[in-house]
Amino acid sequence: LATEGMAAPVAVSRSRPAWLEGLVGQLVALLASFMIALLAGSLLILAYGESPAGVYSSIFEASLGSVDGIGYVLAIATPLIFSALAVAICFKGGLFNIGVEGQYIFAMVVAAWAEVSLGFLPAPLLLSATLIAAMVGGMVWAAVPGILKVRTGAHEVVTTIMMNGIAVSFLAWALNGPLRFNDAPEGAFVDLRSNLFPEQGLVGDIGEIFGVTPGAHLSWLLFLAISAAVVVWFLIRRTRLGYEARAVGSSPGSARAGGVSIGATQLRLFLISGALAGLVGMQQILADRGYLPQNFVVALGFTGIAVAFLGQNNPIGIVFAAILWGVLSRGEVALQIQSEIPREFIIILQGILILSVVITYQIAKRRLAARQLQLAGEAGELVDSAGPSESGGPRGPEETGAEAFAPVDERGAT
Amino acid sequence: VPFTDIAVAIQISFTYFTIIYLTGLGGLFSERSGIVNIGLEGLMIVGTVTGAFGARFFTDTLELGLPWGPLFGLLFGALCGAVFASVHAVATISFRVDHIVSGVVINLVAIGLARFLSYAFFNGQSTQSDPGGPHLARLDIPLLSSLPGGLDRAFEGLSPIVVLAALMVFPVWYSLNRLRWGLRLRSCGENPEATRSLGVSVPLYRYQGVLLSGAFAGASGAFLAAEVIGNWREGQTLGLGFIALAALILSNWNPIRLMFFAWLFGFAVAIPLRLNDAPVISLLPEQFIRMIPYIVTIVAIAGFVGRVRPPAAAGKAYEGGGGT
Repeated sequence: LATEGMAAPVAVSRSRPAWLEGLVGQLVALLASFMIALLAGSLLILAYGESPAGVYSSIFEASLGSVDGIGYVLAIATPLIFSALAVAICFKGGLFNIGVEGQYIFAMVVAAWAEVSLGFLPAPLLLSATLIAAMVGGMVWAAVPGILKVRTGAHEVVTTIMMNGIAVSFLAWALNGPLRFNDAPEGAFVDLRSNLFPEQGLVGDIGEIFGVTPGAHLSWLLFLAISAAVVVWFLIRRTRLGYEARAVGSSPGSARAGGVSIGATQLRLFLISGALAGLVGMQQILADRGYLPQNFVVALGFTGIAVAFLGQNNPIGIVFAAILWGVLSRGEVALQIQSEIPREFIIILQGILILSVVITYQIAKRRLAARQLQLAGEAGELVDSAGPSESGGPRGPEETGAEAFAPVDERGAT
Repeated sequence: VPFTDIAVAIQISFTYFTIIYLTGLGGLFSERSGIVNIGLEGLMIVGTVTGAFGARFFTDTLELGLPWGPLFGLLFGALCGAVFASVHAVATISFRVDHIVSGVVINLVAIGLARFLSYAFFNGQSTQSDPGGPHLARLDIPLLSSLPGGLDRAFEGLSPIVVLAALMVFPVWYSLNRLRWGLRLRSCGENPEATRSLGVSVPLYRYQGVLLSGAFAGASGAFLAAEVIGNWREGQTLGLGFIALAALILSNWNPIRLMFFAWLFGFAVAIPLRLNDAPVISLLPEQFIRMIPYIVTIVAIAGFVGRVRPPAAAGKAYEGGGGT
């Protein structure tokens, strides 16, 4: 384990320190992918016969050009921070939680149940109970793949995909059954939803403090999300669990040799991830809507994976990445008002951005690894090729979904 | 329960079998070549929007009429699926991006891409097209559709594509098990290093596997939108791409067993649509029945009832050739 932090001191002393090299590499990769996305976007805009500069500046204007715009951006970013953190903390331990989607859907149901059935509680108690219920709900949904992974080796990618499917049906069942609304007047046409939550059970709007329109639904969940980012950072960098998680993630073999229980570590990561995922849906039901709707916003969990990559799995980077995602999403409004380009252009732009980020990181990571290997070779040192993973960059195939679908322990059995 | 209801449920299950089986075959080619593809749902989504457009375009705009219009529409959906799958191929094979990451991105981008294309195809409607698009003439299967006792209903009024999908098992099995091409493709998924040492280009076969997966999933989506529903509608794939993935896993990546699981899950989808009043089933909420494919898959993957064994090298980055 000790080799991790001190990979080839001789080699490193000949150039910049490894962490600096890693950081520079990441930044270069990030900038390059922004340029690629902007360029590809420009080509699309030109194809519509409009000016890229004009369109980009109107996106900027709509999102960051006014207090209201910033409010909207931050409200969009809030759930994405939770969901990207949930993805990132699993990544650290070499786990791929693509079940954030199902975890937040299940957690929304549990939270809605708490709101509807505990309405007699005063404001702080009801809200705390709801948030705790949501986190527990997320943990329960994450515990299933977590336990199966540890106990049977069932790959978490497959099991979480299946748990996502189950969660969607579970929400539909709850809304058609136990949580179905009965507070609407007879004969009124209302989309399927739960009962309206009690007034004191909603999170307060903080928009007016900053002069943001109530329409943005900016809530103090934003601060909860940012605090969660700080907590996750602390957890990864400064605690025993974080240390063990990084050890398991970068080299399970040496972690085991070092006395780390891989199963226990991974299960704990999954539970923390589930708790974070549980909070993803809260902005939606406690701030935006005030009830559990059938037509809820989907794919927040999958988007979280994109945001986690954009933020390089770094908790602080994730906050900025979520805000950037919010800026682009908010840009839809500008397109709708000011140009002939369909608003869906934004989703294409986000897609191109995330694709180029994924690919450029991969290239940067490989170049860095090759470079360190070469330097180490010159210094006559044998170096663990895991190299730059210490700097917290996105994980490559060797470390995450690599053996997806391939339970290692069972070969040849049918 | 009236006997005809069971027969109709079986008839519906054939339709869903077709969707799940075609998409599953797509996943089969990709994963047998060594590239995990959880982007099947996204590839299907692209197939739905392009297939619905293609059916109208070839039938009405180009005035090809029946049956050529809908057939070309289906092929158009398959082509667009393959083109979109090339993103996954380039990312995973040439740039060695994690297969799962790339698959997630495919699914994510597909939703936006579908709206974008829909806006362009259907006069600014970004979430659906006009209903009642052209489709192939329905088919009564000879002999089976004259069975007595209401059973005939199961084999009446089927899309010819259903039969075509079921017949796909022969060429797929033959190509993978008897043709040099298929044996090489499979060995790329089992042991790429050894395959390369025989002078076979692993990236080349993997590209073919992934593009085929896009073509099959795209055709499946096009079938769903154009043949079954008659128009494109956002979200109409209903997670069937993931159900196909589940069937693929349970089938042990085998095209013959895949038929069985695709039909079984297709039947599970059909139950709530037709057999709600049947004994036992009437006690279960329909949403619980919809969970069955996922639960069965979890149980199987956890090894509670036998093990599934995927292609050995599926999901692993391969260093030899096709580099960055």
